[in-house]
Amino acid sequence: MKELWKNRLRRHQIDQFKYLRLIFNDNFVLAFIVLIGALGFWYSNFLGTIKHELLLGKPVVILILFLIAQVGRIATLLEEPDSTFLLVKEKEFYQYFKSALNYSIALPVVAIVIVNFLLSPFAFTGAGLSIMDICLIAAGLVFFKLAFLNVEMFKIYGREQVSGMNLKLLLNIFLIVSLIISVYWFSPVILVVGLIAFVGAQINNKKICESGQMQWQQAISDENQRMFRVKRFYNLFTDVPGVNSKIKRRKWLDFVFNGIKPVQKNTYLYLFARGFVRNNEYIGLFMRLTIIQTIMLALIDNFYISLIVEMLFIYLVGFQLKPYFKEVMLNMMQRLYPVSGKDKVNDFTKLSVFVLCIQWVISAIAIFYKFGLSVNSLVIIVAGLAVLLFVGYFYMPRQLKKYLDNGAY
Amino acid sequence: MTLEIKELTGGYGQVSVLKKETFTVEDGQVVGLIGLNGAGKSTTIKHIIGLLTPRGGQILIDGMSLHDNVEAYRKKIAYVPEMPILYPELTLKEHIEMTIMAYGLDHDKTWENANELLKTFRLDNKLDWFPQNFSKGMKQKVMIVCAFMTNARLFIIDEPFTGLDPLAVNDLLNIVEAKKKSGCSVLMSTHVLATVQNHADKFVLLNHGQVRADGTLDQLKDKFDMKDANLDDIYIKMSNEDL
Repeated sequence: MKELWKNRLRRHQIDQFKYLRLIFNDNFVLAFIVLIGALGFWYSNFLGTIKHELLLGKPVVILILFLIAQVGRIATLLEEPDSTFLLVKEKEFYQYFKSALNYSIALPVVAIVIVNFLLSPFAFTGAGLSIMDICLIAAGLVFFKLAFLNVEMFKIYGREQVSGMNLKLLLNIFLIVSLIISVYWFSPVILVVGLIAFVGAQINNKKICESGQMQWQQAISDENQRMFRVKRFYNLFTDVPGVNSKIKRRKWLDFVFNGIKPVQKNTYLYLFARGFVRNNEYIGLFMRLTIIQTIMLALIDNFYISLIVEMLFIYLVGFQLKPYFKEVMLNMMQRLYPVSGKDKVNDFTKLSVFVLCIQWVISAIAIFYKFGLSVNSLVIIVAGLAVLLFVGYFYMPRQLKKYLDNGAY
Repeated sequence: MTLEIKELTGGYGQVSVLKKETFTVEDGQVVGLIGLNGAGKSTTIKHIIGLLTPRGGQILIDGMSLHDNVEAYRKKIAYVPEMPILYPELTLKEHIEMTIMAYGLDHDKTWENANELLKTFRLDNKLDWFPQNFSKGMKQKVMIVCAFMTNARLFIIDEPFTGLDPLAVNDLLNIVEAKKKSGCSVLMSTHVLATVQNHADKFVLLNHGQVRADGTLDQLKDKFDMKDANLDDIYIKMSNEDL
């Protein structure tokens, strides 16, 4: 079992490394570094304006720390066929999950440390915490996280409930209460409570797991979900194969499709529009990028940075939509339909232009909010439109056509 | 509608799975394509519908090849794959709508057909379901409905009998019979010999990518020199020839 875990882990790390390399090769990373720089700049400016403790300082610290403690799951690296092929080895899987648990500790701990580090100047000035307080709270959070990971292991064995109460929920309640006490009154509390939770979970780990029954179906689907989230993140930067996403009906958005006439040349528009709206991956991507863009535009009052943000994000959404076309083209049935490749490309272009227009209008509102009716805001908005037209009528059709011509579709 | 396959050679990549395969499907004929796993049944079908390009030989539907007119060729064919392939983000109803659009069919008339088929396969109350909610057999039925509501003249069905419940198999055979009466042709590959023996007019026996024999059951009996044999016996005899 140890061997199995080592093998899986090696394969997993090679995979991750491959994607990370792809991401860090990408031009967009440069752009993101600029964005992070801009945010850092904004943060340090913001810190400079804080002269005394803020009213909202402590609640903000509590909220951020609470959220960061939720980051990171146990990476079990289970695979679908395991439930058939390794069923007989069920007893021995305990060791496997132990290794998985140990492996999964690193990332959340690093995240907690980094966030605490970044947050410390604000916690110091804005929330009136001492350096000692911050360190104690960080240590407490780490122990809480270890307890959370243990609870996830219990869940694999169907033991995530204690007399009807969900353990994770219970732990979260403890966490938020001790966070509040620690931040407002006495910081060692979180460390003590966290330590107790962790030691309790750790010591009883084996007993609890063995008293349960391994929940294969649930564990595998949890792991798939986790992998999906990771890959979706990579997918923001590069194409990841095998990202299959969730579908939601979203009936209330059906009115959007009314404009599509049911004629042959619209066959694919019919499909693309529905897919975009219902496939969490693509609508999610659009929402995420548009919301980030809007927030940034509404916050940053530097003309050049806003200009870059406006243009970059419209391009990004257009660029990230492309894989959707490829995904549909991989469906074999589409090759049998008597519809020409030109119509497919046209239909997809129509969808992209429509989506980008929505994004453009939303971002324009944010720009007007920040810059008012001025030459600056008009320049930014026109630049956004230019990118939209470039992506929609030049870049996209060419790229898709190239894709169709290369494959034998 | 006639399908002619002349000296077809082809396969995946560099490997030729099919070697000079020749057979025809005539007007109003139901033909069973029979052979062991790996004999080339699915490969043959993929060549006919144009997913693979032949390395040699010709495939003609009513004298027309895929190369002559892609869209017209494709409109003549409807295909039900062995593994159902559906769009995850479309409901059952929308799959039908989309097929209507893709083939440029008459909306109301096709829906009439579709509704009848949906009722036959007991899917008429599941119009708003997504593929992820369907079982494998139900997905297969969706594919069958989408294929048989078109105006195609040649129906190609890859292994239709596994995964369908007995009632659905029976319904499918009735539909095939009706299509045949209206002059359409059907080519189906299968391992369920007892069923196909009663419902096909002609059989094509494939072995190692070649047509070992084809014809009606009586013709096959003659060729293999087995008087009281059924399709099963002939099939086993053919398989043993290799040994």
